[in-house]
Amino acid sequence: MSTEMTCTRLTILTVAGIFLQIIGLSIFVFGFFPVKPTLSGVSGSESYLHPLCDSEPNTNESEIHPEKLRLLYEELSGISSRYDRLILMVIDGLPAEFVLGKDGQPPWNVWKESMPYTQSLLANGDAIGYHAKAAPPTVTMPRLKAMVSGAIGGFLDVAFNFNTQALLDDNLLGQFLRIGWKMVMLGDETWIKLFPGLFMRHDGVSSFFVKDTVQVDKNVSRHLPNELNNDDWNLLILHYLGLDHVGHTGGRNSPLMASKLKEMDDIVRTMHLRAMVDRSHDQGQTLLIVVSDHGMTESGNHGGSSYEETDSLMLFIGLSSNISDYAGATNNLAFQVDLTPSLALLFGVPIPKNNVGVLVPGTLNSLRDFEQLRALELNSWQLLRLMQAQLPSSLFGSFSCNCFLEGTCEGFGSDISECSGDKEKQLICLFRNAAVLHGIWKSKKLTKSSAVEDFNRALDAYNAFLKTASEWLASKTTEKPVLLLGLGVSAMFLSCVVCVTLFLSLFKEVYNGPKDQVCSLNYLLNLEGVFILAVLLILVISMGSSSMVEEEHYIWHFMVSTFYLLLLFKTVKSFSFSRGLNSLGEYKIGSIFLLLISGRLLRGWHQGGVNWTHFTDISKWLEQAGGSYVKWIQLISSFLVIGLGVFTLFRTGSKRKSVRIQAFGFSICGFLILLHAWRYQDDMFEVSTNDGATVTAKVIYLILSISAVGGALVLPWSMQKKDKFLVAIAGDYLYMIGSAYILCWCLLQLLLQQPINSGPILLLLIQILAVSCLSSKDVQVNEWVEIAALYYMGMAGHFALGNSNTLATIDVAGAFIGISSHSTILSGILMFMITYASPLLFLLSLVMYIGGKLRNHSLLAHSDTDLGQLLKLKLGFPCLVPLCINSILLMAYTVVLLLMRNHLFVWSVFSPKYLYVCATTVCTYVGVCIVAATVAYTLSVTSFLRSKTQQLVD
Amino acid sequence: MGQTLGLTWSKKNILIGPEALHQDPRPKTDQDQDQDPRPAPSRTDGGGGARKEAKKKKSETSIGVSSNGSISAVGALFVYLITGLFLGVGVWVARYKFSADLVSDPSLTLFLLWSIEFPVVVIIYSCLRKDPERCSCSKAVGRSILGLVSGAFMNALGAISLGAPIGAQYLPKTIHWSFLMSVLTFVPATAVLGASLTDWHRVFASMKPNENIEYMILVPAYGAVIGGWFGAWPMPLDWERPWQEWPICVCYGAIGGYIVGQIVSLCFMLLLGKDKNLKVA
Repeated sequence: MSTEMTCTRLTILTVAGIFLQIIGLSIFVFGFFPVKPTLSGVSGSESYLHPLCDSEPNTNESEIHPEKLRLLYEELSGISSRYDRLILMVIDGLPAEFVLGKDGQPPWNVWKESMPYTQSLLANGDAIGYHAKAAPPTVTMPRLKAMVSGAIGGFLDVAFNFNTQALLDDNLLGQFLRIGWKMVMLGDETWIKLFPGLFMRHDGVSSFFVKDTVQVDKNVSRHLPNELNNDDWNLLILHYLGLDHVGHTGGRNSPLMASKLKEMDDIVRTMHLRAMVDRSHDQGQTLLIVVSDHGMTESGNHGGSSYEETDSLMLFIGLSSNISDYAGATNNLAFQVDLTPSLALLFGVPIPKNNVGVLVPGTLNSLRDFEQLRALELNSWQLLRLMQAQLPSSLFGSFSCNCFLEGTCEGFGSDISECSGDKEKQLICLFRNAAVLHGIWKSKKLTKSSAVEDFNRALDAYNAFLKTASEWLASKTTEKPVLLLGLGVSAMFLSCVVCVTLFLSLFKEVYNGPKDQVCSLNYLLNLEGVFILAVLLILVISMGSSSMVEEEHYIWHFMVSTFYLLLLFKTVKSFSFSRGLNSLGEYKIGSIFLLLISGRLLRGWHQGGVNWTHFTDISKWLEQAGGSYVKWIQLISSFLVIGLGVFTLFRTGSKRKSVRIQAFGFSICGFLILLHAWRYQDDMFEVSTNDGATVTAKVIYLILSISAVGGALVLPWSMQKKDKFLVAIAGDYLYMIGSAYILCWCLLQLLLQQPINSGPILLLLIQILAVSCLSSKDVQVNEWVEIAALYYMGMAGHFALGNSNTLATIDVAGAFIGISSHSTILSGILMFMITYASPLLFLLSLVMYIGGKLRNHSLLAHSDTDLGQLLKLKLGFPCLVPLCINSILLMAYTVVLLLMRNHLFVWSVFSPKYLYVCATTVCTYVGVCIVAATVAYTLSVTSFLRSKTQQLVD
Repeated sequence: MGQTLGLTWSKKNILIGPEALHQDPRPKTDQDQDQDPRPAPSRTDGGGGARKEAKKKKSETSIGVSSNGSISAVGALFVYLITGLFLGVGVWVARYKFSADLVSDPSLTLFLLWSIEFPVVVIIYSCLRKDPERCSCSKAVGRSILGLVSGAFMNALGAISLGAPIGAQYLPKTIHWSFLMSVLTFVPATAVLGASLTDWHRVFASMKPNENIEYMILVPAYGAVIGGWFGAWPMPLDWERPWQEWPICVCYGAIGGYIVGQIVSLCFMLLLGKDKNLKVA
């Protein structure tokens, strides 16, 4: 910065930096998190009709009796299902290489000999196995979702299902339930989380104890004899975790691996003999499918996208396929999502809506010719529906419904065109070819001439379309556009650089001007400043560790408390005992102790985090002690919040009428909040639309917003004192406005937060008041250090209110207080306000802080500066501190997320954390905007009035 | 050799044990008043501190400890070796006499550690006390016992404010940990400096130690505190190791920091000489 930084220039550069950051962030988010273009709803009978024909969805399908629905599906599909029972055996973490070998070679002898029965099934042609390529992240839950829904899930759809892990999309199990299947689940409890209440019987085991490789499978197998004797189920899911645990503890070549494979082989043998061979044929047939959700690396880990991890198994036992040689039964490739359409078509249910898989070719061999083509046609229609959602409708213009019903439309004769051009056109063309060939085969089937040749051509054409379409759809959901990511990251980096440069240039100006040069280095690089920077560094480093992200609240509390202790140290250091203790020192030490105690209470209020949530904390203790204690806490907190807030308001401006009105409004609000709490909180969950509660809440919102905004707008105009400096008066006003903001925000949080959180809100208010006492009396700690500490305290308070870095802790219940009709935007805003209560509170306290600084500043009789300079130094600099910290953290975390994109926990830990980081960014923007607007408005109004009065005097 | 040493010290430990046990409840009962006695001596001793300043310049012998409390680097090394040896003895006693270690039984081990280390530290540092003419050795011992309790209270407060867990099952651990920390940080200072707040302020807050003995109480004490601070870092991680429990890794960190502090203080003594002020702040 060669030229002098003016206020306008600073504003323009800051705003530009922020916009750059917003743009970069949105580009990155949309690049990194695949936004899956999903179709909502559940496939029904309309899936058996051509997608281009507008058919009214059968609305009363859900009321049809399951058995009738099953018959309806069977009739519409035209495919008779040979199977009535399905056993799905999931072996967690089994690489297909163990069973099927690799690159056409049979598996190693140690693995082959461990599974004699499975190998014999493969050799006899009773079983057919596939290398089913799994999509990353190769972690159990997303893989199970992919297997049953056929969709490659995005992350954001997980994020938007706030509290539930249940799979809400259209899926196979839901379809089975609709046709009246009874399902039994044994094994990994992930299934129960995904499908709560769906299973007739279930016994879940936890995947938590990785060291346990034996009992976890025994718990599954112990039910097996009973279940195989039972005849009341249609779907039996077995999910064995032991092999994954063996891998995690000892890797692929663990000595336990052979015995574990033998155990699995015995189970396959039992099921094959008991459920399929022994069962008499009049009862229908059972299909046994052995799948694994993902593979494992040499060391037994998984989560990434290497061949070893994505090479999962799909083994069909009991399909009467005509494959008889070993190589034909083992050397097949498929995708994991292909299981969904294959099972749907084999068992006569509609293919789930968002499936991108295609029929596994070998599964059709037992069907008759027309059934095979029909199955492929249904699969193609389903994929075409999905494509329709993503492609412009003009591409489908050449088709019409009639073409397909009657087979007669222009340019749609028997010509098969060579498909070329861009991908989308090529897809349409391939589909057309397949449809045409299918039509030809149908028409010629009646004449019985050259049926085999036409059949094969139609089959090939369908397979060509399905393969291309599936790949295209899958790439649409998983591809990470490098260009977008690079653009986003570089934009964020640039904005980070802009912010830091602005900050540094202002920093030079603020600290180099009045101070003498000798002690400046010592002054700037003091202990607290170094510590604040070290905290930033520690945070950035700790973000790379998944457990540190999970337990982030410890870091914040530890750092903030250490900062308090450093302040204490500094205060003690500044004492001089020769003059004895002065009252100022005692005052300061008292404030610091208040900060320490309230900080520790806040830390203990909610245990937080992920791993140690079961530890007792104050909130659990209070809730166990009984609801009345919580109510008392709420009552006391509310009274104290009102008392402290009004006291702070009156401390500066008790003589003003507007302040009295404001205080009156806030008191009214406080009592309304208490009324709301006492009268409506208990039955809030029973009656969701309680009129009285809603009206009370609305009145509170109204009074609060009028008091805060109106006060901020009106107060600066009521300038009376003519003898004081301009800056001092503005400081007074800002102090009053700031305290009104804080009080308003605390009252709002008392209304919105859970009752148990009223204690922490009081403690946070106390902290803010203690800091304002400290900063108004203290000139030793640098301004930027104090503001950074306020930001850190805000984050510590964020976790103290029970938030964590998982999406599960977001308080959804409070987001509907005072909203009469369902509105996503309003309740979203309320949810944001609840979640970011503490960071916003501390940002709002900046108004008060700046006011206090201005008052102190005026004591130096330094009031000849012009408005722009004043705004730049007293407003721009404080506002830049949180922006800088936030942009550095955002930038660092973006890089961490990029580096961790193949990490095991990228979806469960790092991505939710990234969403929180984005929301914190928004929160910082909002807070800084409010602060900047308020301070700028107040300062301009006061200077305007002052110039006017001076003109009058002149 | 080790056997006999251990025996003698375990006997001593028995002598001191009950006394220490009696002290244990004291922080609880005296908590409220403990805040007050600390500033009180400052007013009475404030003048005394100023008088001491005048007497500070004394001649020193080059080997070991001189009668007036100044000490050479060799002597400091000797003192460090003894204190380190008795920390080792504490661990040894805990392991072979009580078959306990820090992980399996932290309270007992910590108790053994501090109760074995405390008399050694008191005796050594009381001999090195300032102003030996005016202050008898027994007075130094007495004030270091007071220093032990109040230092433990300060350490416990610091640890709790930084997030040490509160609860019935953690109370003994916290108490014994804070006593150990007090032995490492406060006791040498109380034994040497007494209740002179001016000296405390100069040594600990302003970090301007004048003599070797002040380096010896300043640097290891800060080392122990900073080491303990860093030792708390692995606690929230989900590695499921037993040593992640409070206060085990903090103890490791504190003792490690103490030893590093001792080494650093030796380096300071050797490098800076005796008459230069350390400029840290």
